[in-house]
Amino acid sequence: MEGLKMDFISSEALENASSMEKIYMIIERVKRGDVVVMEGGLTPSERAELIETTMREIDVENFVGIDVHTLEKDSSSFFGFSKKKTVVITIIGPANVMKTVKKQSNLLSMVADVGNNG
Amino acid sequence: MGFFDFIRGLFKRNKKVSIGLYGHPNSGKTTLANQIAKDWMGKDMGSISNVPHETRNVLKQEKVVIKEGDRELDFDIIDTPGIATKVDYQNFLEFGLEEDEAKSRAKEATKGIIEAIKWLDDVTGVLLVVDATSDPLTQTNITIIGNLEARKIPFIVVANKIDVPEANPDKITSVFPQHTVVPISALNGDGTDELYKIMVKKFN
Repeated sequence: MEGLKMDFISSEALENASSMEKIYMIIERVKRGDVVVMEGGLTPSERAELIETTMREIDVENFVGIDVHTLEKDSSSFFGFSKKKTVVITIIGPANVMKTVKKQSNLLSMVADVGNNG
Repeated sequence: MGFFDFIRGLFKRNKKVSIGLYGHPNSGKTTLANQIAKDWMGKDMGSISNVPHETRNVLKQEKVVIKEGDRELDFDIIDTPGIATKVDYQNFLEFGLEEDEAKSRAKEATKGIIEAIKWLDDVTGVLLVVDATSDPLTQTNITIIGNLEARKIPFIVVANKIDVPEANPDKITSVFPQHTVVPISALNGDGTDELYKIMVKKFN
Protein backbone atom coordinates (compact mmCIF):
# COMPACT_ATOMS: atom_id res chain seq x y z
CA MET A 1 0.00 0.00 0.00
CA GLU A 2 1.31 3.39 -0.98
CA GLY A 3 1.76 5.81 1.91
CA LEU A 4 0.74 9.42 2.34
CA LYS A 5 3.48 11.93 3.09
CA MET A 6 2.51 14.89 5.25
CA ASP A 7 4.80 17.88 5.73
CA PHE A 8 4.26 20.02 8.84
CA ILE A 9 5.72 23.49 8.40
CA SER A 10 6.13 25.93 11.26
CA SER A 11 5.36 29.64 10.90
CA GLU A 12 9.02 30.37 11.70
CA ALA A 13 10.11 28.40 8.66
CA LEU A 14 7.92 30.63 6.48
CA GLU A 15 8.41 34.05 8.03
CA ASN A 16 11.30 35.04 5.77
CA ALA A 17 9.93 33.41 2.64
CA SER A 18 8.48 35.59 -0.12
CA SER A 19 4.91 34.93 -1.28
CA MET A 20 6.10 33.14 -4.41
CA GLU A 21 8.55 31.01 -2.41
CA LYS A 22 5.70 29.95 -0.13
CA ILE A 23 3.41 29.18 -3.06
CA TYR A 24 5.96 27.13 -4.99
CA MET A 25 6.98 25.32 -1.80
CA ILE A 26 3.31 24.29 -1.41
CA ILE A 27 2.60 23.49 -5.07
CA GLU A 28 5.74 21.40 -5.59
CA ARG A 29 4.89 19.22 -2.59
CA VAL A 30 1.19 18.91 -3.44
CA LYS A 31 1.96 18.01 -7.07
CA ARG A 32 4.09 15.11 -5.73
CA GLY A 33 0.99 13.91 -3.84
CA ASP A 34 2.02 15.22 -0.41
CA VAL A 35 -0.22 17.03 2.07
CA VAL A 36 1.14 20.27 3.53
CA VAL A 37 0.10 21.31 7.04
CA MET A 38 1.16 24.89 7.74
CA GLU A 39 1.11 26.78 10.99
CA GLY A 40 -0.82 30.00 10.28
CA GLY A 41 -2.42 31.08 7.04
CA LEU A 42 -1.76 32.79 3.75
CA THR A 43 -2.68 36.41 3.00
CA PRO A 44 -5.66 37.02 0.66
CA SER A 45 -3.33 37.89 -2.22
CA GLU A 46 -1.24 34.77 -1.57
CA ARG A 47 -4.42 32.66 -1.61
CA ALA A 48 -5.43 34.19 -4.97
CA GLU A 49 -1.88 33.61 -6.27
CA LEU A 50 -2.03 30.00 -5.03
CA ILE A 51 -5.24 29.41 -7.03
CA GLU A 52 -3.71 31.05 -10.12
CA THR A 53 -0.53 28.98 -9.86
CA THR A 54 -2.56 25.81 -9.29
CA MET A 55 -4.55 26.51 -12.46
CA ARG A 56 -1.31 26.91 -14.44
CA GLU A 57 0.04 23.64 -13.04
CA ILE A 58 -3.10 21.54 -13.62
CA ASP A 59 -2.48 18.69 -15.98
CA VAL A 60 -5.78 16.97 -16.73
CA GLU A 61 -4.32 13.47 -16.37
CA ASN A 62 -2.20 13.68 -13.19
CA PHE A 63 -2.85 16.85 -11.20
CA VAL A 64 -6.41 18.13 -10.94
CA GLY A 65 -5.87 20.84 -8.36
CA ILE A 66 -5.80 21.37 -4.64
CA ASP A 67 -8.06 21.29 -1.63
CA VAL A 68 -7.44 23.86 1.08
CA HIS A 69 -8.84 23.71 4.60
CA THR A 70 -8.21 25.94 7.58
CA LEU A 71 -8.78 25.92 11.31
CA GLU A 72 -9.41 29.34 12.80
CA LYS A 73 -9.63 30.84 16.24
CA ASP A 74 -11.45 33.96 17.39
CA SER A 75 -9.21 36.85 18.22
CA SER A 76 -10.56 40.08 19.70
CA SER A 77 -9.36 43.53 18.77
CA PHE A 78 -7.50 45.66 21.34
CA PHE A 79 -10.70 47.12 22.80
CA GLY A 80 -12.57 43.86 22.44
CA PHE A 81 -15.27 45.46 20.29
CA SER A 82 -14.84 43.33 17.20
CA LYS A 83 -14.02 39.67 16.84
CA LYS A 84 -11.90 38.47 13.99
CA LYS A 85 -11.04 34.97 12.85
CA THR A 86 -7.35 34.16 12.68
CA VAL A 87 -6.15 31.11 10.77
CA VAL A 88 -4.03 28.88 12.98
CA ILE A 89 -3.58 25.85 10.71
CA THR A 90 -3.79 25.55 6.92
CA ILE A 91 -3.97 22.14 5.24
CA ILE A 92 -3.35 21.93 1.52
CA GLY A 93 -3.37 18.69 -0.42
CA PRO A 94 -4.02 17.23 -3.85
CA ALA A 95 -7.76 17.36 -4.64
CA ASN A 96 -7.81 13.72 -5.72
CA VAL A 97 -6.26 12.60 -2.41
CA MET A 98 -8.23 14.67 0.13
CA LYS A 99 -11.50 12.84 -0.17
CA THR A 100 -13.56 13.57 2.91
CA VAL A 101 -13.12 16.56 5.09
CA LYS A 102 -15.43 17.19 8.02
CA LYS A 103 -15.13 20.49 9.74
CA GLN A 104 -16.47 21.60 13.09
CA SER A 105 -15.52 24.76 14.92
CA ASN A 106 -12.33 23.34 16.45
CA LEU A 107 -11.90 19.98 14.76
CA LEU A 108 -10.99 19.07 11.22
CA SER A 109 -11.10 15.42 10.10
CA MET A 110 -9.65 14.33 6.82
CA VAL A 111 -9.78 11.00 5.03
CA ALA A 112 -7.13 10.59 2.35
CA ASP A 113 -7.48 8.29 -0.64
CA VAL A 114 -3.90 7.06 -0.95
CA GLY A 115 -4.82 4.84 -3.89
CA ASN A 116 -5.03 8.03 -6.00
CA ASN A 117 -1.78 9.41 -4.69
CA GLY A 118 0.64 10.35 -7.46
CA MET B 1 -30.32 65.02 -6.59
CA GLY B 2 -28.90 66.42 -3.36
CA PHE B 3 -25.99 68.86 -3.16
CA PHE B 4 -23.56 66.18 -1.96
CA ASP B 5 -24.63 63.79 -4.73
CA PHE B 6 -23.95 66.60 -7.21
CA ILE B 7 -20.46 67.22 -5.79
CA ARG B 8 -19.75 63.48 -5.66
CA GLY B 9 -20.95 63.20 -9.25
CA LEU B 10 -18.45 65.86 -10.36
CA PHE B 11 -15.55 63.84 -8.98
CA LYS B 12 -16.84 60.53 -10.28
CA ARG B 13 -17.81 61.73 -13.73
CA ASN B 14 -14.83 60.10 -15.43
CA LYS B 15 -14.74 56.99 -13.30
CA LYS B 16 -16.11 53.95 -15.08
CA VAL B 17 -18.07 51.57 -12.88
CA SER B 18 -17.31 47.90 -13.65
CA ILE B 19 -19.21 45.40 -11.56
CA GLY B 20 -17.80 41.89 -11.53
CA LEU B 21 -19.94 38.83 -10.87
CA TYR B 22 -17.80 36.42 -8.88
CA GLY B 23 -18.36 33.08 -7.19
CA HIS B 24 -18.14 29.32 -7.52
CA PRO B 25 -18.94 27.53 -10.77
CA ASN B 26 -22.72 26.94 -11.00
CA SER B 27 -23.60 29.53 -8.36
CA GLY B 28 -25.75 31.34 -10.93
CA LYS B 29 -23.55 34.25 -12.03
CA THR B 30 -24.54 34.15 -15.69
CA THR B 31 -28.21 33.61 -14.79
CA LEU B 32 -27.99 36.80 -12.70
CA ALA B 33 -26.07 38.66 -15.43
CA ASN B 34 -28.82 37.63 -17.88
CA GLN B 35 -31.53 38.76 -15.43
CA ILE B 36 -29.87 42.18 -15.03
CA ALA B 37 -29.34 42.55 -18.79
CA LYS B 38 -32.93 41.43 -19.46
CA ASP B 39 -34.42 43.81 -16.86
CA TRP B 40 -32.45 46.87 -17.98
CA MET B 41 -31.51 46.22 -21.62
CA GLY B 42 -34.09 43.69 -22.77
CA LYS B 43 -31.58 40.97 -23.76
CA ASP B 44 -29.50 38.04 -22.43
CA MET B 45 -25.72 38.08 -21.95
CA GLY B 46 -24.47 34.50 -22.00
CA SER B 47 -25.46 30.86 -22.20
CA ILE B 48 -26.23 28.85 -19.07
CA SER B 49 -26.17 25.11 -18.35
CA ASN B 50 -26.05 22.65 -15.46
CA VAL B 51 -22.54 21.53 -16.46
CA PRO B 52 -20.02 23.38 -14.27
CA HIS B 53 -17.68 25.89 -15.95
CA GLU B 54 -20.17 26.81 -18.69
CA THR B 55 -18.67 30.34 -18.65
CA ARG B 56 -14.98 29.94 -19.42
CA ASN B 57 -14.25 33.44 -20.69
CA VAL B 58 -15.11 36.77 -19.13
CA LEU B 59 -18.34 38.13 -20.65
CA LYS B 60 -18.77 41.89 -20.73
CA GLN B 61 -21.89 43.98 -21.18
CA GLU B 62 -21.21 47.70 -21.42
CA LYS B 63 -23.45 50.62 -20.49
CA VAL B 64 -26.12 49.03 -18.31
CA VAL B 65 -28.18 51.67 -16.50
CA ILE B 66 -30.22 50.81 -13.41
CA LYS B 67 -32.69 53.51 -12.42
CA GLU B 68 -33.84 53.81 -8.80
CA GLY B 69 -36.08 56.82 -8.18
CA ASP B 70 -34.05 59.90 -9.14
CA ARG B 71 -30.74 58.03 -8.91
CA GLU B 72 -29.13 55.79 -11.45
CA LEU B 73 -26.17 53.45 -11.73
CA ASP B 74 -24.38 53.39 -15.07
CA PHE B 75 -22.01 50.42 -15.25
CA ASP B 76 -20.46 47.56 -17.19
CA ILE B 77 -21.28 43.97 -16.16
CA ILE B 78 -18.23 41.71 -16.00
CA ASP B 79 -19.49 38.12 -15.77
CA THR B 80 -16.47 36.05 -14.73
CA PRO B 81 -15.88 32.27 -14.94
CA GLY B 82 -16.48 30.46 -11.65
CA ILE B 83 -13.45 30.26 -9.37
CA ALA B 84 -12.38 26.86 -8.01
CA THR B 85 -9.22 25.32 -6.56
CA LYS B 86 -9.60 22.17 -8.68
CA VAL B 87 -10.81 21.25 -12.16
CA ASP B 88 -11.23 17.54 -12.82
CA TYR B 89 -12.35 16.64 -16.33
CA GLN B 90 -13.87 13.41 -14.99
CA ASN B 91 -16.60 15.44 -13.28
CA PHE B 92 -17.81 16.60 -16.71
CA LEU B 93 -18.16 13.00 -17.92
CA GLU B 94 -21.07 12.62 -15.47
CA PHE B 95 -22.93 15.23 -17.51
CA GLY B 96 -22.59 13.17 -20.67
CA LEU B 97 -19.60 14.94 -22.23
CA GLU B 98 -17.17 12.89 -24.34
CA GLU B 99 -13.66 12.50 -22.85
CA ASP B 100 -11.95 14.83 -25.36
CA GLU B 101 -14.65 17.45 -24.90
CA ALA B 102 -14.38 17.15 -21.09
CA LYS B 103 -10.58 17.53 -21.18
CA SER B 104 -10.75 20.57 -23.40
CA ARG B 105 -13.46 22.09 -21.16
CA ALA B 106 -11.17 21.50 -18.14
CA LYS B 107 -8.23 23.25 -19.85
CA GLU B 108 -10.41 26.20 -20.83
CA ALA B 109 -11.82 26.36 -17.28
CA THR B 110 -8.33 26.68 -15.75
CA LYS B 111 -7.58 29.63 -18.07
CA GLY B 112 -10.96 31.16 -17.22
CA ILE B 113 -10.20 31.01 -13.49
CA ILE B 114 -6.88 32.82 -14.02
CA GLU B 115 -8.70 35.46 -16.10
CA ALA B 116 -11.35 35.90 -13.38
CA ILE B 117 -8.66 36.48 -10.73
CA LYS B 118 -6.82 38.98 -12.98
CA TRP B 119 -10.06 40.95 -13.39
CA LEU B 120 -10.04 41.69 -9.63
CA ASP B 121 -7.52 44.42 -10.54
CA ASP B 122 -10.05 46.15 -12.80
CA VAL B 123 -13.48 45.84 -11.21
CA THR B 124 -14.81 48.71 -9.08
CA GLY B 125 -17.54 46.67 -7.37
CA VAL B 126 -18.47 43.00 -7.02
CA LEU B 127 -21.57 40.87 -6.68
CA LEU B 128 -20.35 37.72 -4.93
CA VAL B 129 -22.90 35.13 -6.01
CA VAL B 130 -23.27 32.36 -3.43
CA ASP B 131 -25.43 29.25 -3.92
CA ALA B 132 -27.81 29.33 -0.93
CA THR B 133 -28.30 25.56 -1.15
CA SER B 134 -24.67 24.80 -0.24
CA ASP B 135 -22.13 25.64 2.46
CA PRO B 136 -21.04 29.28 1.92
CA LEU B 137 -17.88 29.01 4.01
CA THR B 138 -15.59 27.78 1.26
CA GLN B 139 -11.98 28.65 0.47
CA THR B 140 -13.12 30.23 -2.80
CA ASN B 141 -15.59 32.59 -1.10
CA ILE B 142 -13.11 33.37 1.71
CA THR B 143 -10.37 34.09 -0.87
CA ILE B 144 -12.62 36.36 -2.94
CA ILE B 145 -13.89 38.27 0.13
CA GLY B 146 -10.35 38.58 1.57
CA ASN B 147 -9.07 40.06 -1.70
CA LEU B 148 -12.02 42.47 -2.03
CA GLU B 149 -11.50 43.69 1.54
CA ALA B 150 -7.73 44.07 1.02
CA ARG B 151 -8.33 46.09 -2.18
CA LYS B 152 -11.23 48.06 -0.61
CA ILE B 153 -13.60 47.04 -3.43
CA PRO B 154 -17.25 47.38 -2.33
CA PHE B 155 -19.26 44.18 -2.69
CA ILE B 156 -22.65 42.61 -2.06
CA VAL B 157 -23.08 38.95 -1.15
CA VAL B 158 -25.93 37.64 -3.32
CA ALA B 159 -27.58 34.59 -1.74
CA ASN B 160 -28.87 32.98 -4.93
CA LYS B 161 -31.27 30.09 -5.68
CA ILE B 162 -33.88 30.95 -3.02
CA ASP B 163 -36.43 29.34 -5.35
CA VAL B 164 -34.94 25.94 -4.45
CA PRO B 165 -36.63 24.40 -1.34
CA GLU B 166 -33.27 23.47 0.30
CA ALA B 167 -31.98 27.06 0.08
CA ASN B 168 -30.86 28.56 3.38
CA PRO B 169 -29.99 32.24 2.82
CA ASP B 170 -30.01 32.85 6.61
CA LYS B 171 -26.92 30.65 6.90
CA ILE B 172 -25.11 32.98 4.49
CA THR B 173 -26.15 36.01 6.59
CA SER B 174 -24.94 34.25 9.74
CA VAL B 175 -21.49 33.39 8.36
CA PHE B 176 -20.95 36.83 6.80
CA PRO B 177 -22.59 39.08 9.44
CA GLN B 178 -20.40 42.08 8.62
CA HIS B 179 -21.38 42.11 4.92
CA THR B 180 -24.54 43.04 3.00
CA VAL B 181 -26.35 39.83 2.04
CA VAL B 182 -29.29 39.96 -0.40
CA PRO B 183 -31.37 36.80 -0.99
CA ILE B 184 -32.55 36.41 -4.58
CA SER B 185 -33.57 33.97 -7.25
CA ALA B 186 -31.69 34.92 -10.41
CA LEU B 187 -33.86 32.34 -12.18
CA ASN B 188 -37.26 33.92 -11.53
CA GLY B 189 -36.19 37.42 -10.46
CA ASP B 190 -37.38 37.21 -6.82
CA GLY B 191 -35.49 39.72 -4.66
CA THR B 192 -33.79 41.45 -7.59
CA ASP B 193 -35.66 44.76 -6.99
CA GLU B 194 -34.05 44.93 -3.54
CA LEU B 195 -30.68 43.98 -5.07
CA TYR B 196 -30.93 46.81 -7.64
CA LYS B 197 -31.75 49.31 -4.86
CA ILE B 198 -28.70 48.25 -2.88
CA MET B 199 -26.46 48.24 -5.97
CA VAL B 200 -27.39 51.85 -6.79
CA LYS B 201 -26.58 52.86 -3.20
CA LYS B 202 -23.40 50.82 -2.80
CA PHE B 203 -21.69 51.15 -6.19
CA ASN B 204 -22.32 54.83 -6.93
